[in-house]
Amino acid sequence: MFSNHKFNERSRMSEIINEDASLLLTISRFGISLGFGDKTVKEACEANNIHCKTFLAVTNFIAEGNVIVHETYEHISIESVINYLKNAHHYFLTYKLPSIRAKLMEAVESSDQSEPYKVVFMKFFDEYFQEVRKHMDYEDRTVFPYVMRLLAGSPDKKYKIANFEEHHTDVDSKLSELKNIIVKYYPSKGHNYKMNDVLFDLYACEKDLALHNMIEDFFFVPVIEAIEKKNNKS
Amino acid sequence: MNDLNLKIAIAEPSVIVRSGLAVALKRIPGIHAQTFEISSQEFLANYIKLHKPDLLIVNPLYWGTLDMSKLKDEAGHQTLRCIALVTGALDDNFLKQYDEKFSLYDSVDQLRTKLNKVFEAETIEPDEETDTLSVREKEILTCVVKGQTNKEIAQSLFLSTHTVITHRRNIARKLGIHSTAGLTIYAIVNKLIELDDIKKDL
Repeated sequence: MFSNHKFNERSRMSEIINEDASLLLTISRFGISLGFGDKTVKEACEANNIHCKTFLAVTNFIAEGNVIVHETYEHISIESVINYLKNAHHYFLTYKLPSIRAKLMEAVESSDQSEPYKVVFMKFFDEYFQEVRKHMDYEDRTVFPYVMRLLAGSPDKKYKIANFEEHHTDVDSKLSELKNIIVKYYPSKGHNYKMNDVLFDLYACEKDLALHNMIEDFFFVPVIEAIEKKNNKS
Repeated sequence: MNDLNLKIAIAEPSVIVRSGLAVALKRIPGIHAQTFEISSQEFLANYIKLHKPDLLIVNPLYWGTLDMSKLKDEAGHQTLRCIALVTGALDDNFLKQYDEKFSLYDSVDQLRTKLNKVFEAETIEPDEETDTLSVREKEILTCVVKGQTNKEIAQSLFLSTHTVITHRRNIARKLGIHSTAGLTIYAIVNKLIELDDIKKDL
């Protein structure tokens, strides 16, 4: 099944990281920590009690960079995907976004207009942060519990995963707006090391969030829809 | 000018052609293409229904029997544009239901022209479009940032609300900034307003 893909059960974990460093985030979201020595994917998953096929499906999806729609993902574990998504939410909300905020604050504070810049940039960032938080909280509190009940065999009558799709708005458009403002309109002299750092983080974060949304769209929603359909028939 | 963002599904059985086209699409200036490869017909309908791409590129030699209007109906996605990927001799009648056709030997520039035509994108060169705001637009931007409504702006500048809305749309397009919080940053950074002018709204 996985012979068509870049990585399989016998691939070494270190090989995956060397291929694409952004997969580090994926690996840690699955709950595998660094220091895996010469372990293969299969060994690392077993040691950490992770559903290996799900791990490979997500890793290959990200590593190949090109979405190929030809597989049904029936063999993946929804619990693992939920766990992965929850960990990703935790990472964005408690670590990545606060860290970007702090760097942005530091960068504008070192400008010659520190006071007004600080006020307007922080207002913008905090509004954005709120939006992301609202979106992720909704998934954690409403969507995931619904899916867990569905898997346990006691689905809600009213809620459908289609509701989630409607709710699934673009949280990343605001992030690109911020990038745009800094790139095009931020007046500064000298080397800008700090602001460049903020920009690098924003670009990485945007890419990461887009991937996150794609995993929701391709691994999560279609599988849940299939279960809903099956339940409706029986 | 902002890039045209397109979600593109490529339905073609050959991985070499499919992936090659995906790479070529990503090289087109002014278009940000997100591509999805579809290798077999059975996943096509469901994919379109679920992900609502902007464009579907299909090889009609393999899937010539595909009924586009039926596909759009079933997916509830009437705005889907379709381009035929022609890899061999094909009767024109076959191509009637497509918006455009790509040939295997099209250059990146030809792909660009055809895509812009299909999506009726502005064909002005990026550097012909000015990003600078007019005096009027700056006035309106200042009012927006100060928290005035369209109606209030219209009254204070003796304009119709409709004109104000048009100006606001142009400002957003020129600057690539859509939110009020973003416009506020622009106004402060370009010294169109002082922090004291907007303190009460923060």
